[in-house]
Amino acid sequence: MKPTERFKRRYISFSLSLEGKPPAYPEAKEIVHSHFLSFFGESGVSSLAFKLVKYDAATGAGILRCERSRTDEAILCMACLSEWKGAPARLEPLSTSGTIKRL
Amino acid sequence: MDIVRFELSANEGAGRALSVSSLPNFFDAANALAAKQACRKKGALVHPSSYEIDDGDLLELSRAGGAVVFSFSDVLSERGFRRSILISKMRLLLTACRKRGTGFLFATLAKDASQMRSARELTAFAAVLGATDVERKEAEKKITSLSGASAKLKNLAQVEK
Repeated sequence: MKPTERFKRRYISFSLSLEGKPPAYPEAKEIVHSHFLSFFGESGVSSLAFKLVKYDAATGAGILRCERSRTDEAILCMACLSEWKGAPARLEPLSTSGTIKRL
Repeated sequence: MDIVRFELSANEGAGRALSVSSLPNFFDAANALAAKQACRKKGALVHPSSYEIDDGDLLELSRAGGAVVFSFSDVLSERGFRRSILISKMRLLLTACRKRGTGFLFATLAKDASQMRSARELTAFAAVLGATDVERKEAEKKITSLSGASAKLKNLAQVEK
């Protein structure tokens, strides 16, 4: 695909905690995916170009990708997570960048 | 700078957020009548629970130099369709404020530390509601000026004691 036709990416580093502790990878993936799905809907997630790029279960730190023009919406979505299955949860955005290397 | 509904201790960053109790001009408008009364007060900060304020009341608020407060904790407390309706009401109110020249602020109005959000998240909240960068910076300046006014009130209270 030509570079002009590709969607422009933004990577957002985040910190995920469930009841004060970082969850394991499968649970973290489920939390992030289902939260974004419930916030944006199926069509919204597809247009967002969302992807969970990396996640470290030891520290709860991770990186997700979104479309450049919708970074604010993605960050708002992350801020809207306050609980998961009754347990307090927090998905805090730390920084954004156009490349993974700079995060 | 943020506005919260609880008293922050020094450990929790008391200098980085204002408590609602330290703002004498802050009004929670539970209904249209309360919003009408609050909008007439000089320099009022009005937080409408339903995010529906008449255009006439917004004009009065603008003349009185007041502002509407958009609370992030209201979004947190809702889920699903109700949350989307709330966000859409906030968007409409922000457009109405812009049309009437009424000021607005973005704050968490957190009831506890777990509801507090970072400055970047509040920026994203403002952007999604449709505020421009200029409007967002004006809103931040308003909160910072409130902190100065609140500190003066505290000093006055201490001197009186």
